[in-house]
Amino acid sequence: MKERNFFNVVTVAIIALWLLIFAFIPNIMMFIISFFERSETGFFDVAFTLNNYKSFFSSLYFQVLFNSFKMATITTVLVLVIGYPFAYILARSNFKYKSLLAILVIIPYWTSALIRTYAIKVLLTTNGIINTVLENIGIIDAPLNLLYTEGAVILGLVYTLLPFMILPLYATIDKLDVRYIEAAGDLGASRLKVFMYIIIPLTVPGIIAGCLLVFLPSLGLFYIPDILGGAKNLLIGNLVKDQFLLARNWPFGAAVSNLLMIIMAFMLFAYYKSAKKINSKVL
Amino acid sequence: MRKQYLLVLLLVAFSVLTISGCKKKNKEVVNVFNWAEYISEDILEDFEKETGIEVVYSTYDSNESMYSKVKLLKGSGYDLIFPSTYYIAKMIKDGLLAPMDLSKLPNVKELDKALLNQSYDKGNKYSIPFMWGITGIAVNSKFINPDNVTSWKDLWDAEYKGKVIVQNDIREVFHIGLTSLGYSGNSTDPKEIEAAYNELVKLYPSIRLFNSDSPKVPLLNEEVYIGLVWGGEVFMAAKENPDIKFIYPKEGAIGWGDCYAIPVGADNKDNAYKLINFLLRPDISARISEEYGYASPSPKSREFLPKDIAESDILYPSQEEMNKIEFQNDVFESIIVYEKYWEQLKTVN
Repeated sequence: MKERNFFNVVTVAIIALWLLIFAFIPNIMMFIISFFERSETGFFDVAFTLNNYKSFFSSLYFQVLFNSFKMATITTVLVLVIGYPFAYILARSNFKYKSLLAILVIIPYWTSALIRTYAIKVLLTTNGIINTVLENIGIIDAPLNLLYTEGAVILGLVYTLLPFMILPLYATIDKLDVRYIEAAGDLGASRLKVFMYIIIPLTVPGIIAGCLLVFLPSLGLFYIPDILGGAKNLLIGNLVKDQFLLARNWPFGAAVSNLLMIIMAFMLFAYYKSAKKINSKVL
Repeated sequence: MRKQYLLVLLLVAFSVLTISGCKKKNKEVVNVFNWAEYISEDILEDFEKETGIEVVYSTYDSNESMYSKVKLLKGSGYDLIFPSTYYIAKMIKDGLLAPMDLSKLPNVKELDKALLNQSYDKGNKYSIPFMWGITGIAVNSKFINPDNVTSWKDLWDAEYKGKVIVQNDIREVFHIGLTSLGYSGNSTDPKEIEAAYNELVKLYPSIRLFNSDSPKVPLLNEEVYIGLVWGGEVFMAAKENPDIKFIYPKEGAIGWGDCYAIPVGADNKDNAYKLINFLLRPDISARISEEYGYASPSPKSREFLPKDIAESDILYPSQEEMNKIEFQNDVFESIIVYEKYWEQLKTVN
């Protein structure tokens, strides 16, 4: 028993140390730097200021934030609309190997996300497969401008983030107690009513988890707008990157990234609260 | 339990011993910090064979990350670095570079005089050109008559709406805005930068995409017909599709390059000079140039290059075009002004 404890302590200690050195301390440093002033010759001047946070609250950066949130919201809604029926059919099917089907959802994602994004680019280009096929069957006369549009960015985000919606939904729908549905049916509820009042409320934790898992990364996946959107729109991820690498304004970059983290923490907190509330009420 | 402590202790002791053991070699070294994919290993091996000096080689992928490391180490740790022209000016100002002793570099005589004594380092006191290139206008002659394109201003032509590509590079994009108004591409005047921004706002609807990684792909796919693209990419694109042409704008092409520089705290300066002198040799410079598609600063190196590269007027501009090129220089604190308008350009429009 003692031996075992020692092993536990060592493993936990290694991981804790790892997180402390490579996650916690850098974050604390970012937090501190965000209150410093930009320096001409160094990385920052040690002088307390709130200006970095103040300058974020300008119309320009609000527009950046708004654009990023707009893209993330559209993506999340689309992924939910596509992912929910998929997860539902998958989880409720009587197929013997349904967990195998769930694994099949993940397998394409073993390839690098960057490579898959370039693959979408190949499909959408002027002389790519989609345009060639449409032209050959006579639907269009001239190739469509599919690439480097907002639509292409949304397509890329939806495709990349779909499994993050399907998997949590699959997990909650799979665990759904069939007796609730049967009881509702016995009491005369129509299929639509069962879905609206029984199935959806019971799968809310899955929906929220899926939405968070889609929404948060879609704020930060700056390479998809860069590759599929032609780098024409600045999103919040690009902004942070440019402040560090281009403008050499570490304090402001740190402040933006802290604000983003606060927004994310707030959303996770809301999720935790709602999940707790739903669990105590229903389950 | 004791045993396990002992084991951990042994492991730590063992690793400490092996690490310190490695450092004990008393051998001549030169610590090189260079861009990834710039000098191939066989060239470094040739240098090691010739001089017996061991090359310790590490790489970076942006000027900023190189600058951060050199700055944090206060100019020690590396013996030879390769900053871009505009970073040379910044690092001189920060006092991070050691003066170059040209008497230790006999092969400097091989360099093209037109590339020396540029605004970023007058008199080449701290730096010597390593590899360079230009950015100009690429045109697909299947769609646009190249004779009609003579100036950066032609990119603004309403006819090319939605068919323009530009580099995803803040300095180069503002360079065309500034020089089309007659200002310097290295302007630090906020009013001039704002005027350039107002021009770029008009260009923005024409731009199909910003791309610096591989602008030849949208050119070859005929997604775009015209744009601001660097010479090496146009050279490669023209090989695949001869319709693609390169045009020197009458305002002068944008010149950029990377330079040899020695950090102020370098421990093995003499070895760094030996390596620079070796890499300056025309035959070696030609090998680097051929492998990665940049232009060599040594005219003689062209004798060692395949004909199509050596005679390409895209990679090696004529003397007349050479004189018009404006090399990128540091804009110091004005980068903040540039950055602000760049954000605005990509956000509001």
